[in-house]
Amino acid sequence: MKEEEEIEIEMVTPGEVLGKGSEVKAGKGAYLSPDNNTVFASLTGRRSLVHPSPHSPDQRPTVEVIGHKAHGPVPEPGCVVIARVTKVMARMASADIMCVGSKSVREKFSGVIRQQDVRATEIDKVDMHSSFRPGDIVKASVVQCNNANPRHVTRLYLLISLGDARAYYLSTAQNELGVVSAESMAGGTMVPVSWTEMQCPLTGQIEQRKVAKVGA
Amino acid sequence: MEYVSPEGLRLDGRRPMEMRQLRAELGAVSRADGSAVFEMGNTKVIAAVYGPREVQNRSQQINDKALIRCEYTMANFSTGDRLRRPKGDRRSTEISLVIRQTMEACIMTHLMPRSQIDIFVQVLQADGGTRSACINAATLALADAGIPMCDLVTSCSAGYLNSTPLLDLNYVEDSAGGPDVTVGILPKLDKVTLLQMDAKLPMDIFENVMQLATEGCKAVANYIREVLLENTKQLENRRGV
Repeated sequence: MKEEEEIEIEMVTPGEVLGKGSEVKAGKGAYLSPDNNTVFASLTGRRSLVHPSPHSPDQRPTVEVIGHKAHGPVPEPGCVVIARVTKVMARMASADIMCVGSKSVREKFSGVIRQQDVRATEIDKVDMHSSFRPGDIVKASVVQCNNANPRHVTRLYLLISLGDARAYYLSTAQNELGVVSAESMAGGTMVPVSWTEMQCPLTGQIEQRKVAKVGA
Repeated sequence: MEYVSPEGLRLDGRRPMEMRQLRAELGAVSRADGSAVFEMGNTKVIAAVYGPREVQNRSQQINDKALIRCEYTMANFSTGDRLRRPKGDRRSTEISLVIRQTMEACIMTHLMPRSQIDIFVQVLQADGGTRSACINAATLALADAGIPMCDLVTSCSAGYLNSTPLLDLNYVEDSAGGPDVTVGILPKLDKVTLLQMDAKLPMDIFENVMQLATEGCKAVANYIREVLLENTKQLENRRGV
């Protein structure tokens, strides 16, 4: 036990052995090498041991390396992102992804919200200008499969990710996703009234948006 | 010309198995995500890493891995004669490719899909072994940027002059026309990621020279690890941890 505590204060560099694969699980900043079943570090930082919860079936502790500088996050399919709408067109809206989860990105990523991804019901009757306006901050999730070229869809039965997608496809087709903050034409920050309307506190004017459900 | 004196000293006073003095500094370019200056004797190299960020050329985007781009340049003032076209010539393109392939082997690209990592290396002062110094500097810069790697990559060169294997050739020894073996390894995993040689060597002598270069790589790896740990401790002190 004392030895474990000593190891816990240790600082490691990439490639150093953190433990055997049979005794520890690889967490953030560590990876499991398949050839010799050893867990190595992949970042420079402090090694720390996270004890497993008593209910989990796997009772191995997780070893992590906490680096001082984390590299900027990259959007992954299925994660929730915060984006600012830049352009609104007839069938899609462009947005700049600014945060992935709770971390902000170093340089923005480009995202696109297509007409069919705005909401879950009546997707062909969506009016993009009544859902988003340039400058709105939206909460969206990254779509699992990115298929940019519709031609390929008709030939394949399986939707597979193709390499020519132009941007991350974002979807606001859930209650908790959509516009979280918007400015009215008068310049005031609007207050959500329903899932399709927001009201300006300065003028009382109601504007149409696809509003996210905030709160419990 | 005599490159190793009868007493066993080289032109700059080193022993055949002795490396030049190493010096490394992290965070030289504050605008970059990670950067490092690496010196091996008189060879001085600066590396800057940007990423992971969005791929700028959409057609090159890889869906399940990060795209690694590397550019090697020599500053105009790096050699004795002022270089007139230091960028875009065949040697620079070849070394850029070599460094990219070496770093690609150790960066865990599957953790950052559809993104791009740029590694820019520039030689400020060239005195032999620029390829190795660039790889070492790139490793430090990547570690400074917090990009996950499976191990550090270190590189060192060795040659064979006057029937003696020599470690870490400088410019004069390199231009002597003898063989120059550059080795890049993953020290903890004990794997070779780069092996280049110009000129010819008999097989048994080649094994000796490569072994010597590999040991040089391990010595560089120890130094790089010390530098990284020292840097991390300093950062923690400043943060008050």
